[in-house]
Amino acid sequence: MIHYLIFATFFGLLLLGIHRKVIARIQRRPGPPIWQEILHMFKFSFKSTWIPNTASETLFVAVVLIAIGIWTAAFFIVLAGGSLLIIFGIYMLHKIVEHGFGLSSGSPYGKFGGVRSVISAASEIPLFVSVAAITLFTKSLSISDIIAYQEVSGPLIFVLPLVAVAMYMVVISKMPFGPFSIVESKELVSGYKTEHFGVWRAGLEICNGLKTYVLLMTFILVFIGAVPFWLMLILMILIVVTLSFICALCPMLSPFDSVTVQTLITAVMIVYVALLWWLL
Amino acid sequence: MVLLTGLAGIAATAIWVLDLIPSLYYEALLVVDFPLFVLSTGIWWMARERDADIPFLGY
Repeated sequence: MIHYLIFATFFGLLLLGIHRKVIARIQRRPGPPIWQEILHMFKFSFKSTWIPNTASETLFVAVVLIAIGIWTAAFFIVLAGGSLLIIFGIYMLHKIVEHGFGLSSGSPYGKFGGVRSVISAASEIPLFVSVAAITLFTKSLSISDIIAYQEVSGPLIFVLPLVAVAMYMVVISKMPFGPFSIVESKELVSGYKTEHFGVWRAGLEICNGLKTYVLLMTFILVFIGAVPFWLMLILMILIVVTLSFICALCPMLSPFDSVTVQTLITAVMIVYVALLWWLL
Repeated sequence: MVLLTGLAGIAATAIWVLDLIPSLYYEALLVVDFPLFVLSTGIWWMARERDADIPFLGY
């Protein structure tokens, strides 16, 4: 179990490295090597580390532990075929953690990043509409039941393509350098993680690796179903490459536009789910 | 702390492999132990004031 957790962390970091590499190649830059995020994690864990004077010491450190802890829990819940609602609850919790990162530092850049994390929670709303649509068909929120449904009725990506698109938009909003990555906008330096350097940043890198793996694994299990392990890894890489194309070709939206676009997606999804409910 | 959390992780894995605790307890322990192990390892490994803080010189 622990070996899979460590593998997931490193593979998630590798996926983020592939993401950076593909974006760079699309933009005609050489880009970093694909294992750059893994090197980052090791590099940060070796650097001199302390807690800034302006920071709230307890929250500053605890929020890193919580960030890794919640994604470790999410990883085990997906593995056990647990409830989709808990996974999405953890997505929401991650927003609060990001907010905690920003506020604990005492830095204005961190605080603005934290506030933007809360604004970008708008990206989670299509998620809940997607869950409603999935429940209409599978009659269950348990990932194991959703997988069992797909073994009989075929992958949900063909049954509910629009829902898969909405969920894909949620995945985009979680990827760095994307159109909805307003929490990491350059005018905020590094946003909520500006003051978390050294060992704290290494912890955050581990959280990001694990988060990426869990997010993509959930997407594959919910919309494609149970696949062999090697195929799951290939599918994850393919999804990341498609995400990289979108992130490389779309400029980062302003916070207002980001929320507007996500609200419009939610509105379309609500109409779609209402139609499905009426037709069923 | 590194030793403590590392040993706790190894002990929990051993007990779980021997089927002495249910998977749920093992996973709950890892949720607490893994973040503590990661951070304590980093804090133990990090460069002190007098050390160079870039380990990958030349890369």
